[in-house]
Amino acid sequence: MSTFTRGFATSCLKTWPWLIVLILTAILLTQRTEFPQIVAYPEAWTLPIAEAVSAAMDGLVEWVQHTARAISGGLNVAFSAVQWLLIGAPWLASVSLFALIAWQGGGWRLALLTFVLLLYVLTSGYWVPAMNTLSLVLVALPLSVLIGFGLGYLGYRSHRARQAIMPLLDLMQTVPAFAYLIPILLLFGFGPVVGLIASVVFAVPPMVRNTILGLQNIPPAVLESARMSGCSRRQQFSWVEFPAALPQMLVGVNQTTMAALSMVIIAAIIGGFNDIGWAVLSAMRKAQFGQSLLSGAVIVILAVLLDRISAAYAARQLPTSSFCGLPLRRFALVFVAILAVTMLAGYLFPVLHDWPAWLTYSPAQAINEATTQFVRAYGDLMAAVKNGMQFFLLLPVKLGVERAIVPFTWGITFTPAAKVAYWVIALAGCAVAFGLSWWRAGVAILVLAGVIYFGTTGLPWLTVLLLISLVAYQVSGPGLALFAGGSVAFLLITGLWEPAMISVYLCSVAVFLCIVFGGLIGIWAASSEAVSGIIRPINDMLQTLPQFVLLIPALMLFQVGDFTALLAIIAYAIVPMIRYTEQGLRMVPKTLIDVGRSCGCSAWQLFWQVRLPQALPQILVGINQTILYGLGMLVIAALVGTTGLGQAIFVALGEANAGAGLVAGLGMALIAMTTDRILQAVIPG
Amino acid sequence: MFNLKQFGSTLALSTAAMALAGAAAAAELGAKDETIKLAINEWTGQHITTHIAGNILTSMGYDVEYITAGNYPQFTALADGDLDASLEVWSNNVGDIYPKMKEKGSIVDIGPLGLTTREGWMYPKHMEEVCPGLPDWKALVDCKDKLVTAETFPKGRILAYPADWGTRSADIIKNMGLDYKAVPAGSEGALVAELKSAAARETPLVMMFWAPHWVFAEVDAGWVELPEYEPACETDPSWGPNPDATGDCGVEAPVTLKVAWTGFEEKWPAAYKFLEEFKMDTSEQEAMMKAIDEDGQPVEEVTAAWVEENSDTWQPWVDAATQ
Repeated sequence: MSTFTRGFATSCLKTWPWLIVLILTAILLTQRTEFPQIVAYPEAWTLPIAEAVSAAMDGLVEWVQHTARAISGGLNVAFSAVQWLLIGAPWLASVSLFALIAWQGGGWRLALLTFVLLLYVLTSGYWVPAMNTLSLVLVALPLSVLIGFGLGYLGYRSHRARQAIMPLLDLMQTVPAFAYLIPILLLFGFGPVVGLIASVVFAVPPMVRNTILGLQNIPPAVLESARMSGCSRRQQFSWVEFPAALPQMLVGVNQTTMAALSMVIIAAIIGGFNDIGWAVLSAMRKAQFGQSLLSGAVIVILAVLLDRISAAYAARQLPTSSFCGLPLRRFALVFVAILAVTMLAGYLFPVLHDWPAWLTYSPAQAINEATTQFVRAYGDLMAAVKNGMQFFLLLPVKLGVERAIVPFTWGITFTPAAKVAYWVIALAGCAVAFGLSWWRAGVAILVLAGVIYFGTTGLPWLTVLLLISLVAYQVSGPGLALFAGGSVAFLLITGLWEPAMISVYLCSVAVFLCIVFGGLIGIWAASSEAVSGIIRPINDMLQTLPQFVLLIPALMLFQVGDFTALLAIIAYAIVPMIRYTEQGLRMVPKTLIDVGRSCGCSAWQLFWQVRLPQALPQILVGINQTILYGLGMLVIAALVGTTGLGQAIFVALGEANAGAGLVAGLGMALIAMTTDRILQAVIPG
Repeated sequence: MFNLKQFGSTLALSTAAMALAGAAAAAELGAKDETIKLAINEWTGQHITTHIAGNILTSMGYDVEYITAGNYPQFTALADGDLDASLEVWSNNVGDIYPKMKEKGSIVDIGPLGLTTREGWMYPKHMEEVCPGLPDWKALVDCKDKLVTAETFPKGRILAYPADWGTRSADIIKNMGLDYKAVPAGSEGALVAELKSAAARETPLVMMFWAPHWVFAEVDAGWVELPEYEPACETDPSWGPNPDATGDCGVEAPVTLKVAWTGFEEKWPAAYKFLEEFKMDTSEQEAMMKAIDEDGQPVEEVTAAWVEENSDTWQPWVDAATQ
């Protein structure tokens, strides 16, 4: 018993800042009926930051519009040229040349895959919009790669530049594109250019990161020998650094390609050219699942092709690669020859020029009917699932059990006696944990009990501010605490507190479910090749299918509301959790497992004591990615009627209010960056 | 090519001069070698309207291009002259940007399109069995319990427009003193998906919506009869069922407008005149919507057929513009 009391005492000593915050919170909460501003941040204390940003934006537009419009003129010319090549040429020429490019990168199998998939695109009837989208990606790609390489090289050479670039990259990747579409529209004018610029903004960061990584990973001995053999700075770059970093940079090109494609789809909301994202959005607007799924499938095909081909070119650079394609000059020769032959064939036989209408096939109507059938058959069951989740998970986290437990939901009343029992159990749990010297667990129990009792929307804002700063301080130090506290303060003074807490609630429930189910699926996939083989293409599809597509069946089954949004977020954010868990478990060295086995571990012990701890760093990276993906989906979730920061961004988009959109987007980015940094500090190594 | 363009703008200048002189009886075609860019928004009715107008403009000798444009971004495009006209703008869904741009003088309203519209609370037909007093609004008071959901408890649920389209449903609920909560839908797709799902499953639903809309070709629906809108309802609290509030009535039927870039009239005077005259008939648009959305015919063919068969309707508009 004495160890218990000693443990209790040391725990209390270690956790005094937490206890002070929690006691303060308890005092605040007893006063909340008298002073509602304890929970609802008073509007009088906000600053008109959004208005100021809008005004600054107006000034900026006046000032740089001419330059911006000149740039967009140039980009439009480039876009039209590529578009003219891809759509103006006979389909036979486009398809053959893509297959040739694929062959040059990865050989016959890739060429065949390219050919077959593009024939499917022709059959689907979405050829023209698909090629419009591809044109935009092909213009965005070299721009992003060049800018990304430039910034990356700068960051490699100068430490100070890198310190400025890194947070900028974080912002570019976490501010949702919807927030900056309006500023881009105002600056660069209407048209495909808006999507082009948005996708460059989003696609540059992976190129920068991989360039820096590639250059930094060059062994110092290699650089040393370059210097010893008398290389000038320039020679050292072009003969040593560039070739050595090339494989990593090509990984960057691959990621940049995928990022550019995903953003082109998002930017379709502006319109301006007949692209495949527009087709998906129009189908979404009509709630036609068939049409949106089929056009979404075309996007998946584009993604698969761009991914495989760029990855093949990246792999070709590795010393282990055996395939190297044709020498450049002969490749050009074959290219021109195929172009000439197919062009000629196209002009001689119109069938080879324009894909004939009778060869297109669209099962959209059948898919729509099947969806309706499914809704009719399983609608009631799904409604029961939805209500269960609403009553027992979503409402308690959002409103707290004090407001969520009513006869209509749980069938019981939350009596004062039950409330006392709730707190007695929570305090007892904390005391036991303290006694066992698990002081972190003790604090976690109290915080969690508070959140579930009062709900994320019922917590005093001061508590949230202090708790997050405290977490940041303990995992990292004063710098991160200042950043985290500053982020919360930003949300408060911009008047975004209420939508932000709704976003946090939705996102944390989604992340929690992703961790549980994604973790389990990942563990299962790690233990079975067959499961892994089934899961992988599903993951690929979930990540490349435009997020709008899955909203329609989810809406038809679960109606407008938080549960539908939750499903949409999970569908997208669960993927990294599954991937990293599987990867982490598979990477555990076999020798370690053998050692465990020879020590007489059971399968259960082997998992908990050997494999899981070894895989933990990877799993934490997965959780971090899941959180970022979840936050990224919040804007899409606003399309099914959630009221968080995502909706604030949509309202700003509707009002063409650049300031409000940017501020809400920045708020979202700050939430993402705070959680990311806290987790990064926790991840070992 | 360059010369042609120059010729076009000289022509435009001269017509502008004529317009200033006030002597133009028959409008000139204007810069007819320069393409007129018409906005294509996200819904079928608008595609029909635009393609018909475009078709007739082509027959007048103009070059027309259709450009996809989001419902809000299109106003920025029109203000900059990146788009030249948008021919079916719904006054109930123009956001804050339309009045802003109009006030600035960068876009002009060129008159109503003439669709007979309706806006209000709508329900799938089976609701009349679920809630027997419908379409009278008083029935909503009695069958509130059928419309209670987890999110709105203890109130009934009415599905409202996305938050960025305004707060009409919430206002009516408040002013009529109903025990309901307006749940914003997030997007048009969400509204349509809920309607389709409720019709298929025969579950209760009341939602804000508008007509003409293609979905009525697919789903049989009825409208809640609220006290009919009158200007007095907005100003006089004693008007309507709630003696203490103004606005205790239905919504004013929205107007469909044609909107153009300010430079349009100067550049293509005859086209401008024609677009001023141009009207769309509601029942004909609905028949074409059905052919496109339900029977899967291409919009180009359906509208071309209409133009071919209905020259009696549109020839006078062209004549008014060119003679």
